Amino acid sequence: MIAYTRANTRAWSMLGSSGAFGVAAMELPELDSNVAILTADLAFFSGLDRFKAKYPERLFNLGIAEQNMLGVAAGMAKEGLKVFATTYATFASARCCDQVRVNMGHMHADIKLVGLAAGLSVGILGATHISIEDVAIMRAIPNITIVCPADCTATVKATVAAARHKGPVYLRLSGVQNNPTVYQGDFEFTIGKAIRLREGGDIAIIATGTMVHAALEAATLLAERRIACAVIDMHTIKPLDEAAVKETLGAKLLVTIEEHSVKGGLGGAVSECLAGLRQKPPQLVLGMADSFNRPADYPYLLEKNGLTPRQLAESIRASYEEVK
Amino acid sequence: MTNLEKYTKAFVDAFDVPPSELPTLAYQAIPSWDSVGHMGLMAVLEEAFGITLEIDDVIDFSSFAKGQELLKKYSVEL
Repeated sequence: MIAYTRANTRAWSMLGSSGAFGVAAMELPELDSNVAILTADLAFFSGLDRFKAKYPERLFNLGIAEQNMLGVAAGMAKEGLKVFATTYATFASARCCDQVRVNMGHMHADIKLVGLAAGLSVGILGATHISIEDVAIMRAIPNITIVCPADCTATVKATVAAARHKGPVYLRLSGVQNNPTVYQGDFEFTIGKAIRLREGGDIAIIATGTMVHAALEAATLLAERRIACAVIDMHTIKPLDEAAVKETLGAKLLVTIEEHSVKGGLGGAVSECLAGLRQKPPQLVLGMADSFNRPADYPYLLEKNGLTPRQLAESIRASYEEVK
Repeated sequence: MTNLEKYTKAFVDAFDVPPSELPTLAYQAIPSWDSVGHMGLMAVLEEAFGITLEIDDVIDFSSFAKGQELLKKYSVEL
């Protein structure tokens, strides 16, 4: 039984999202006796050492062969197993696009595909590992539920929720060890239901993944300038919580923030949701530039993409000055 | 409870080992002191002593004895 204590929340934060996934994985056989986990040579990086020791018959390392892993996962799912499969986010999406499209999207194979190190966190490995477009790829494939937890506590929650969810899920994990904490203890997490974390009437910020914490910090900075921001954790990007988006229509400016390309991610999903409306606030889409990044460490790349709280606050303030 | 008692209790609770084995206990010497157990221990120590450990110290915390030395930096005398 997972205990959402303050100490555990802190420990999961220090482990990072992959480690938090590993913690949640230990609970999965209790939830479903048919759980199996596949990995493409990332058992340790997926935080699965303990799972491997306790449930060796449930963990399968398919080697650095992600597309094959998805095929094996689909076969196991069709035999009635509840399958999680882990690899880097960029390989889960771009490399395995056809396997995801056919097996998960078209055939509805009940696979929970875990995209590790999404966004910029493994930036030191360069463009092959930096995942800028995984959400865009997954969004374009029918029947895939996309979940992007805000912190490590939410990662534990999202993993359990994914296990209970019927149908294919892409679980997008981002950030590094010592991930900032948004949720200090237990909270209600329902796939498809956004969480309003802060109220404010001037600007509505809809963020996902690691950018939820950054958005909260940016909102605090903007409050010092007497600009009131609401902050919404849009942890499920597909299906989008359209009702939560439409609750922001009274704001003077709508902002979306994601550690993903500004093309095709959360910003695009929100734009599509509002496109048919006659009256809506202008939207500022903040995220990674539509370009490849050079290898560098995580803090540098966040700054280069304008995703630190101070940079976000400044971008939002400048845009707000134009529209208020 | 003294600081040393708090420190000892954190290890005993985290790893289920008798206090007599603690002076020579090191990271990964027992199955429960793996990376997950390590972060759990760090979180409990932070809570017990009201401190926030720097990430370099979390990494350097390689044994029961080394931890005693590191905590001095946070004004925790054991």
